[in-house]
Amino acid sequence: MTASVLAAGVVEETIRAFFQGLPIGAGFALVAMSFVLTYKTSGVFNLAFGAQAFISAATYFELHVRRDWPIWSAVLVAVVLVAPVLGLLLERLIFRHVHAASAVSKLVISLGLLVALPELFKLIVDYNREQPFGAVGIIPDGTTVYRLFGRYPVTRDEIAAFVIVVAAALALAALFRYTRLGLRIRAVVQSPRMTELNGVNADWVSSGSWMLSSLFAGLAGVLLVPTTPSLGTVLEPTGYFPIVISALAAAALGRLVSLPAAMFGGLALGVVTTQMRTHVPRDNVILAELQGPALPYVMLFAIIVFWPAIRRQVAGADPLLGVSPPPPALAATSRSRGMTIYTRIMALAFFTAVGIWTFGYANDFWISRITHSVIFSIIFLSIVVFTGLGGQIALCQVTFAAIGAFGAMQFAQRWDISVIVGMLAGAAIAAAVGAVLSIPVMRLGGIWLAIATLAFALFFHDVLVKYSWVGGSLFHGRGVPRPEFLGVDFSSRENFLILSIAILVLVGVLIILIRESSTGMALRALRGSETAAESIGVISWRSRVIVFSVSAAIAAIGGGLLAMEERLVGYEANFDPQTGLFWLVIVVVLGARTVEGGIQAGVAFVIFPELVLHRWFGLDGAWRFVLFGFAAISFARHPEGLLEHGKRRSQALMQRAFARRAPAMAAAGAGGAAETGEEP
Amino acid sequence: MSLLAADGITKRFAGITALDDVHIAVDEGERVGLIGPNGAGKTTLFNCLLGLLRPDAGSVSFDGQSITRLPIYRRARLGIGRTFQRVELFSGSSVRDHLLFAHRIRSGTGALWKDLLGLGLPKPAEIERCDTLLESLGLGGMGDEPIEALSLGQSRLVEVARALMTQPRVVLLDEPSSGLDRAETTALADTLARIQTEQGFGLLLVEHDVELVATFTERTYVLNFGKLITHGPTSEVMRDDEVRAAYLGDFVAGTS
Amino acid sequence: MTDATTTADPAEMAPAPLVIPVLEMRHVNAAYGPFRALFDVSLSVGEGETVALLGRNGAGKTTVARVASGLVEPTGGEVMVDGNDFTKTRAYRYAKAGVVHVPEGRAVFPDFSVEENLTLAFSRTRDRSGVRDALARAFELFPPIAQRRRQIAGTLSGGEQRMLAMARVLVETPRLLIADELSLGLAPIVTDEVYAVLARIRDAGTALLIVEQHMGHALALCDRAILLDHGAISWQGPASEAAQAAGASLFDTGGDSRS
Ligand SMILES: Nc1ncnc2c1ncn2[C@@H]1O[C@H](COP(=O)(O)OP(=O)(O)OP(=O)(O)O)[C@@H](O)[C@H]1O
Ligand SMILES: Nc1ncnc2c1ncn2[C@@H]1O[C@H](COP(=O)(O)OP(=O)(O)O)[C@@H](O)[C@H]1O
Ligand SMILES: [Mg+2]
Ligand SMILES: [Mg+2]
Repeated sequence: MTASVLAAGVVEETIRAFFQGLPIGAGFALVAMSFVLTYKTSGVFNLAFGAQAFISAATYFELHVRRDWPIWSAVLVAVVLVAPVLGLLLERLIFRHVHAASAVSKLVISLGLLVALPELFKLIVDYNREQPFGAVGIIPDGTTVYRLFGRYPVTRDEIAAFVIVVAAALALAALFRYTRLGLRIRAVVQSPRMTELNGVNADWVSSGSWMLSSLFAGLAGVLLVPTTPSLGTVLEPTGYFPIVISALAAAALGRLVSLPAAMFGGLALGVVTTQMRTHVPRDNVILAELQGPALPYVMLFAIIVFWPAIRRQVAGADPLLGVSPPPPALAATSRSRGMTIYTRIMALAFFTAVGIWTFGYANDFWISRITHSVIFSIIFLSIVVFTGLGGQIALCQVTFAAIGAFGAMQFAQRWDISVIVGMLAGAAIAAAVGAVLSIPVMRLGGIWLAIATLAFALFFHDVLVKYSWVGGSLFHGRGVPRPEFLGVDFSSRENFLILSIAILVLVGVLIILIRESSTGMALRALRGSETAAESIGVISWRSRVIVFSVSAAIAAIGGGLLAMEERLVGYEANFDPQTGLFWLVIVVVLGARTVEGGIQAGVAFVIFPELVLHRWFGLDGAWRFVLFGFAAISFARHPEGLLEHGKRRSQALMQRAFARRAPAMAAAGAGGAAETGEEP
Repeated sequence: MSLLAADGITKRFAGITALDDVHIAVDEGERVGLIGPNGAGKTTLFNCLLGLLRPDAGSVSFDGQSITRLPIYRRARLGIGRTFQRVELFSGSSVRDHLLFAHRIRSGTGALWKDLLGLGLPKPAEIERCDTLLESLGLGGMGDEPIEALSLGQSRLVEVARALMTQPRVVLLDEPSSGLDRAETTALADTLARIQTEQGFGLLLVEHDVELVATFTERTYVLNFGKLITHGPTSEVMRDDEVRAAYLGDFVAGTS
Repeated sequence: MTDATTTADPAEMAPAPLVIPVLEMRHVNAAYGPFRALFDVSLSVGEGETVALLGRNGAGKTTVARVASGLVEPTGGEVMVDGNDFTKTRAYRYAKAGVVHVPEGRAVFPDFSVEENLTLAFSRTRDRSGVRDALARAFELFPPIAQRRRQIAGTLSGGEQRMLAMARVLVETPRLLIADELSLGLAPIVTDEVYAVLARIRDAGTALLIVEQHMGHALALCDRAILLDHGAISWQGPASEAAQAAGASLFDTGGDSRS
């Protein structure tokens, strides 16, 4: 065996990997461009891409495969008709109303849609998930194999995807660069009102841009099916998920605004992936991981953290934001004294009643549900800290909760230490992990922070959990005992419930203390304007580290308690990253700004599907997702949170009933016209 | 030794030199003006002084110490306060909160453990202080208003108040009078003068309201195309031919 | 109320006026959510007329301007443009009808370059070569922004952004130009220049509604003045009497060479 033969082999392999990588890259590019297109034309980082893509693809297969429509007419309906109409509906019903909303709100809405849209679609078209369709594309005889240079195989589907990607990138780039329409679309994203002052109907433009981006998402949806293994056998929205991660990395290369960068980034990442698999030796654990599941997450995280353009990106604010009225104040701050006392008495009475029932009459099932509610409330308070106080989104709260659960487990199993201590140690570890994680993502805000933390959560999920020092070993199982602490045995259901409630109260009070004092003030200042906050001396990195670690610790305590309650770490059932998306949406929708909101979200999360939907209405799982989606949509109209909205409404009614004084919302302005306030 | 001094600051943006070897100094208790045409580099200089921008050359010193490499919050904690030409307020907070935050952060009671023990809640005395300052700036009774409900001029006054609440040793004001009419501008000048006599901070004022600069400041620097073209007692500067040609046009100082 | 405003509903009571005003506001109330800002404001700006809108900080000047260009929908009363009811109409229709508004502050698209900002404005009514001519005129008017035609507008200095916002409208001669805080942030020498251009387009037939903190300039340019106080009109009349009406203490015309 001579060196030259070896070298020739390497060259050959490299070329082969290159041609294998391009089609994969074309898939990444297609999705990346779809993200960029939506972001560029609407300012929404649209995680609901998977849902849109799925709807077009499923329509196509329903028509073409099951009803035998010819390809062209099925494409016409699925891509050219259904997708833009969906886009139009989304814009009209939802996104038009949230233009000025924060990145947090928009992300939450798109997450809600991601969950709800496919389920709604399945209910409407009676989509049959049992029957696998097989990977059929929209290209006639798409599986025909050609050989490039006589040796590297590519299918017709792959060639088509590649050509469409390049053509679309060119066409869209030309649209934005050279046409009046392109300029207007970009103008509306920055400021619809300014655009209108220039005589352009902003609503039309924004409807048009949603139709365009939705069309593209639909096209991507059908094109990806034959070339994506995860969509091959059963077409499900989750099948798009793996590709989305790499695509996000590609989109990040162009800061979510450059289509050509997204295209080249996608292709390059495809090639890098196959090259790594070919050339990196597998004899080292870390290197082996890097070729396998870890690669997309590491790439995504690294690009977001190290790509200089992302740090520098500051979107200019809409100059006409001042035309909108200020968001209403929290109901609690505008309550009169009589009302406050009344509310407190009612709350006390309610909790007493629930308490008497629980400890006196409830059966085991209900006690366990109530304990779950309490524990999830604790976990959700970590979201209240991060999102409600910090104003940012992290999608890795599940990970912190899992660290708490595994912490309790490991300490109990390995060293036979009390689970309570184990849970606290887990919380300390989670806090440390949170603090460390906060450093690379220090300067990131809004969607970038969300994506980076999602990458971390997925990394933990797909890579770290498999290690026995994290997720335990098969041999020991994942059992966790109930605690015994300070001589009290908490193994009975009732006692454990009391312990959980005590911890919930403690955490709630601490959060309120933080919110009302210096740390909370610094956080609110930072949320309003980082520049101005630093200019009065707020140490932004310190606040960031505090938020990360406090919220991680709270999540970990909740996770530990959950494991004790269930007597094992139900990782797959409870701590999947996709579940984490669910958590975020439910908390934000119900009201992330108050401790009450977090607790109510916990109760709703546990009790609502079980009791209201299943027992009372006999509805099955799908409806639960649809309702959840509607909640996210209604959030578009009431960004203060549904409960806050309801409270304010009932407060207005009650205040009328109390009729002691005029509504407290009235502006007290000595500064001008406002002094007359709201007319009673 | 001046309190706040910039030596040889140069700052380039792609294609333009926004600041070219600029030297300025402000002392405690002083009122200094900084004027110049649009785009002369005044705001850029403020940004370099506070650390929002890193100058390409030159150094900034405070109280004899070089602060060129310090982050923004360290400079703020040393005692540099500023307002922004494009208002930077804490959306989602009330007017009073702005002052309360500023006071809190500067007085350094911000440890997490204190908060957790309930020692960090706002005290009546602090709130009292905030309201007094609001009152003296003509914003009395607006403390509870959400900041988004203010008109442009009122927002600027809140910024001024926020800067003053940090108990600064030198205050940089970037066009504080825009959005105020003449009477309100005069009132603002009087208030500033009064608080300055009490606290003795130095004041650097960027303004296009030349009347205000002429009556309020003792010394004035003039920037044009990033270069310092003159510097001296305000009344002399206002008569300078070069300044008139570049900036003032046919404005005549003291016609009122 | 005084002269120009009629007390009852003018549409019904008075015989059809000889000249239909470009803009007329009748008994307008306006509010931002629960915050009320305007109370029964009635005013009109006739063809080619120039009106200065004056008042203290927070008096409601900006709100009047926003109502007059459709940005804020009044909660009561009517807004008429050229005799047509525009009360519930969206802002882009006002612009199409020739009512253009330069908002206060930094009224530019922050992520667009200077050139893109202007192109967006000019391309509604012009073809490619027309846009090129208009760009040339705008850059001639404000040389500082000509040197920065490729700079991202959000990074311009405050005054340069104001110039860009003004350049958008000063190239054309609209039916009515509403300028809020006109000279805010502009160097005195540029303010003079802007007023010279305004005088020119006034002579070309454009009506002006100007909000200005320094009264002297505005009163020298305008025929009529309206004083706002706490969201209501407290006085209106000829510009020459405005300073007196407002009280010399409140409005000092010093600082302006023209008065
Ligand atoms: N980030 C940036 N990128 C490119 N150029 C910039 C940037 N920031 C400022 N400039 C340019 O630097 C010059 C100085 O700007 P600066 O804001 O300091 O002016 P200024 O003196 O404050 O003007 P004004 O009186 O109009 O506020 C301007 O010409 C501006 O266009
Ligand atoms: N977006 C807004 N939300 C609530 N109130 C507002 C808003 N904008 C202005 N106001 C209030 O309306 C009144 C008039 O403001 P404005 O028209 O901006 O005054 P001016 O332009 O005369 O300074 C002020 O009392 C101000 O507080
Ligand atoms: Mg400036
Ligand atoms: Mg105003």
